[in-house]
Amino acid sequence: MSHPVEQHPVTKTVERVDAREKARGETRYLADIPFPGRLFARVVRARIVRGEVVARNTPSLPEGYILVTADDIPAGGKNCVRMIEDDWPVFSEGTVRYYGEPLALLVGPDRATLAHLTEQCERAVEFRQQEAALTIEDALLCRGGAIHGTDNVYCDYQVVKGDPDGAMAGAARTIEGEYRTGFQEHVYIEPQSLVGTREEGRVTIYISTQCPFYVRKAVATALGLPQEEVVIIQTPTGGGFGGKEHYPDVLATTVAVALTRIDGPIELILDRMEDLEVTSKRHPSRVRYKAGLDEAGRISAFDVDIAFDGGAYESSSRVVLQRGMFSSNSVYEFPHVRVRGRAVATNSAPSDAFRGFGAPQGLFAAEMFLSRLAREIGVDDLDLRKDYLLQQGSTTMTGGRIHEEVKLPEMLEHVLRVSDYRRKREAYAAAARDNGANGTDGAASAKPLGGIGLALFKHGSAFTGSGEQEIIKARVRIRKRADGRPELLVSNVEIGQGVLTTFCKIVAQVLEIPYTDVVYDDHNTSHVPDSGPTCASRSVAVVGYLLQEAAKKLKGRLHEPGEFEVEQVYKHPEHLRWDAGTLSGDAYPSYSWGVNCIEVAVDPLTWEVDVRGVWTAYELGRAIDEEIVRGQIIGGAIQALGYAGLEKMENPEGRFLQRTMADYCIPTSLDYPGVDYALFDNPYPWGPFGAKGGGEVVFDGIGPAYAAAVQQAIGREVTRLPVTPEYISELVHEK
Amino acid sequence: MSTPAWIRPATLKEALTMRRDYNARPLAGATDIYVRHRAATGTLPPLEDRPVLYVGHLPELTSISEDGKGWLRIGAATVYTDILEHPDTPLLLRRAIEELAAPALRNAGTLGGNIGNASPAADAVCALYALHAEVDLAGHAGERRVPIAQLITGPGKTTVGADELITAVSVPMDRPGSFHYYRKAGTRRANALSKIAFCAGGTVLEGRLTGLGVAVGAVGPTIVHSRDLEVRAEGSDLARYRKLQQEESAPGGFLTARYMALISPISDQRSTDAYRRRVTENLLRDLFERTIPTLLSGKAG
Repeated sequence: MSHPVEQHPVTKTVERVDAREKARGETRYLADIPFPGRLFARVVRARIVRGEVVARNTPSLPEGYILVTADDIPAGGKNCVRMIEDDWPVFSEGTVRYYGEPLALLVGPDRATLAHLTEQCERAVEFRQQEAALTIEDALLCRGGAIHGTDNVYCDYQVVKGDPDGAMAGAARTIEGEYRTGFQEHVYIEPQSLVGTREEGRVTIYISTQCPFYVRKAVATALGLPQEEVVIIQTPTGGGFGGKEHYPDVLATTVAVALTRIDGPIELILDRMEDLEVTSKRHPSRVRYKAGLDEAGRISAFDVDIAFDGGAYESSSRVVLQRGMFSSNSVYEFPHVRVRGRAVATNSAPSDAFRGFGAPQGLFAAEMFLSRLAREIGVDDLDLRKDYLLQQGSTTMTGGRIHEEVKLPEMLEHVLRVSDYRRKREAYAAAARDNGANGTDGAASAKPLGGIGLALFKHGSAFTGSGEQEIIKARVRIRKRADGRPELLVSNVEIGQGVLTTFCKIVAQVLEIPYTDVVYDDHNTSHVPDSGPTCASRSVAVVGYLLQEAAKKLKGRLHEPGEFEVEQVYKHPEHLRWDAGTLSGDAYPSYSWGVNCIEVAVDPLTWEVDVRGVWTAYELGRAIDEEIVRGQIIGGAIQALGYAGLEKMENPEGRFLQRTMADYCIPTSLDYPGVDYALFDNPYPWGPFGAKGGGEVVFDGIGPAYAAAVQQAIGREVTRLPVTPEYISELVHEK
Repeated sequence: MSTPAWIRPATLKEALTMRRDYNARPLAGATDIYVRHRAATGTLPPLEDRPVLYVGHLPELTSISEDGKGWLRIGAATVYTDILEHPDTPLLLRRAIEELAAPALRNAGTLGGNIGNASPAADAVCALYALHAEVDLAGHAGERRVPIAQLITGPGKTTVGADELITAVSVPMDRPGSFHYYRKAGTRRANALSKIAFCAGGTVLEGRLTGLGVAVGAVGPTIVHSRDLEVRAEGSDLARYRKLQQEESAPGGFLTARYMALISPISDQRSTDAYRRRVTENLLRDLFERTIPTLLSGKAG
C-alpha cells in the first residue's frame, strides 16, 4: 500500500510505547481501575426537548443515596461549565434546552438501585413544554421563541477580501449552490468516564479526557476554587476524536459538585446508549455559495454564507465555525471574497469539537460547488481546480500568506496516476452516456454504476489565528532525572493517536538516545505545566516543536549529576500576523495538504455504494513515525467514509432516533477497502524535524471525494452528506 | 415451592413440563434477550416475573437430519454456524445466514429463537418463508407441524401455545433445477440489521416453474408473502408466465404490481418508507422481469 519515500530517521517506524499492553488487553481504562469504597453516580435528565420545570417532586431516597442539584453549588462557585462562554449550566435550574439535559446527579452505592431511583426522579419532574427549534431554519426563525439572546445567533462573523460587492455587481454571470451536512457521533470505544474523589483534601478527578487543564478550569470555576486546588489525572483514554475535548467538563463538574457533600470516590461512566444520546456531536451545516464570473468566464467574486447548528449551548461553536469559514475557499485563490458565518442555537445536544473541527463541512461544500461551477461553465472539473490553486506566496481568503511551498500539483499527479483517474473518469462518463436513454433507474438494469471522484484540501495545524499565543501560551518542561533519563512534563495525552511514542521519538532524536529511555507517564495537572489541549492537530506540530527545542537545551547535560529541568514556552513565529477583530491575517501557522480519490460502484437496485478504491496523498511536513501516520490515514479515511455514506443521526422530534450501535452504524472492516497512501516531505521550519499536524487533514477530504464519485455514478448532483442509499434513491427518482 | 429464575431441564420432556408449569421463557443463544431487556451497565436485565428455560443443550433440538423425502429437519436450537456448515442446507438459507449478524452471534443464535421473536426484519425467517418451511412444535398434548407463515401472526406474535416449544424447522433441500435469489439491503456491510430482506426460490426444470416462493422482510408488520400469487405462477412455462405477467400493464408486470400492493413499509431510524418501497420494486422487477424469464427461457448459465 505504501509508497516508499526517502525517510528521515525520525520517520522510520518504531514499536509504539503502548502497543504491547494495549494489544494484550492489559491497559487499565478507568472502569478497570479499583477505587476502594467507590460509589456510583447517574445523571437525572430532563426527558423533554424544551421547556421549563414546573415542579420537582423528588421521591424520598434510601439511606446512603444523595441527590445533587444546582442548589449544591457552593458560594463563590458558578453554575456553569466554563468553556468559551459561561452559558452551559452544570445543572438546569429550570430551563430545559435539549433532551437529556442534566437536572441533578444521584449518588449511591448500588447501581441497580441508582438506575431505579434515577427513573423515579425523572418521572417525578413536571414540565411546561415549549415548541422546539431543531434545524438551522428553525433557529433563524426563532421557532418557539429565541433560545439564545434575541435571535438565536451565537456569533455572526464576516471575512472580506478585496471588493466582493463590486466584483459581484460587475459579474457577467452568477452561479449559486447550497450544501448540507448532518450530525456525526464520535463513538470512541471507551464511553465518557470519570471518578471524582478527595485526595489530601483536594478535589481530584481521574478522567478519560483529551484536555486535563480544561477539566481543571471547569471544575475550579464551578466550585469557586483556585485552579491549583483542583487535581486532574488523565487515565488511559479509549479514543476521543474531539468528543473528549470539552464534554468531560460537563460530567466532571456534576461530580465535583457532589464532592462538596460527600468525599467519594464517585464513579460516573455513561452507558453507551446514554453516551450516544446526550453527548456532543459534529455541527450540522448549511453552506450557500454564489460565484460571480467575469466576461472571460473567470471566477471574480466568491460569496459564502455558512450556518452551523451549534445546539443548545455555545460550547466551542464560534471556533469550529471560524475553521469552517476559513475552509470554505478550500485550496483555491479567488480575488474577491466574502464569507459570512453564523453559529445558531437549536434544541439539540450542544454541538462541539469533532476531528476536522468545522473544516469537513466547509471543504465538502467548497469542493462540491467547484464541481458545479465546472459543469455550469463547461470546463473540466480538474482543469478548473488547477486554475485557482493556492501556491507559495498566494494570499489566503483572510489576507494571510501561503508561506510554504505548495506541493499539491505533484501530489495530484501522483494520485491521478496510481488511481488511473483520468481513464476511469472518462470510461464512466462514456458508460453514463450509453445508459442515458434508460436513465439510472434501477429497474432498467442491474449493472452497477461506476464513478470516481477527487478532492483537494488543506488543514491548518494548531489553534486558529493567534490562539496559540494569546490563549494557550503552551509551556513544556523536560526533567533530567537523577537516573539520567529525561522525563517529559506536558499536558498532552495519548488518546490512541500515538503521542506517547511520537513525543519520546522527537526528544530521543535530539538527545541521540533510544526513545525507550524517555519517560512520559505523568498525566497529573499538579505535576505538569499546561502545554495546552490535545486537539487541533497541534500536539506534534506545536508541542512537539517545544519539546524539540527544550531537548536541545538538555543536549550534552544528561550526565550532569542530580535532577534539573529545562523549559520551553511557545512563541508565535514572527512572520505570522493576525487580527482577531477583523479575522484577517494568517489564520493558521502552517497547513497540511491532501489529495483524495475514491472510486465507487453504485448498485442500481438497492442504491448501496461499494467503495472500490481509496487513494490518498498527504504533505504533513514530515512524518514523525510512518506507521503512526499510516494509522491516522486509515482511521481518518474510514471514519470519514462513515460520515460520508453511513452515519445518519436524526432528531426530527428533538430526541435522537439512532440511540444504539445497531442503529447508528459506524463502518466495519468489511465496508471499505484498504487505503492507498503516499507521503510528501516538505519540512516546516517551526515543526519538530519539520512535522506539521496529521490527525485531522486525514479526515477532511474523504466526504467530498466520495460525494463526487457517487455524483458521477448516478449522474445526479449530490449536495448533502451523508450520501445514504435513501438519499441516492431520492435523487435518482427526482426527475 | 418458589418459582426458579432459571431452569436447565435434563430432557425435552422435562423442558415441556417446566414450560407448562411455569410458563417459562425458552432461551437458547441468548443473543436477543439482553437487547430486549437492556439495563444499566453493571446491573442485571429486568426480566419478567417468569423463569427462563434454557434449551440450547437438548440433543433433540440441536441436530440436523434428512427425513428421506427430500426435506432437511433442523433442530430449533441449532446454532447458525452449524446450519451454515451443513452440506445439505439449501443455498437460499445459507445466503441469508451468511449475511446475518456477525460470526460470534452466528455461533450462538438459533432459528428457533429467530422464529419465536417473530421480527418482520429477521433475515433467516424471511428465507424460511420463501422456502415454505414447516415448523415442528411439541407440547404435552403432542406434536404438530405448521407452515411458517401460519405460525407468525404479527410483530413478536406467534401461535406457539403457552405450553409448547418450537422443536425443529423443516426445509426442502435443493434439487436439480433449484434456484435462489437473495438480496439484503442492510445498514452496512456486516453485522447489520436489514432495511429490506428479499428472498425468492423455486425450481425451473424443463422450462417450467414450480414451487415459487417469494418473501420480503422489513416492509410490513410481518414478512410479506403470498401463497395465492405463488400458486398463480405454479407450473408456468415462459409463454404462460408472460401471459400471467401481462394481466397487469404495470412496470414489472402482474406479479410486481400484486406484491407491491401487499407491502406497507414505514420510516424508522434505519430507513424510509420511500426507499423501502423503491428497492422492493427494483428487486421484484429484477426477479420477475429478468431472473425468472431468463431461467424459463433456458438461457441461464
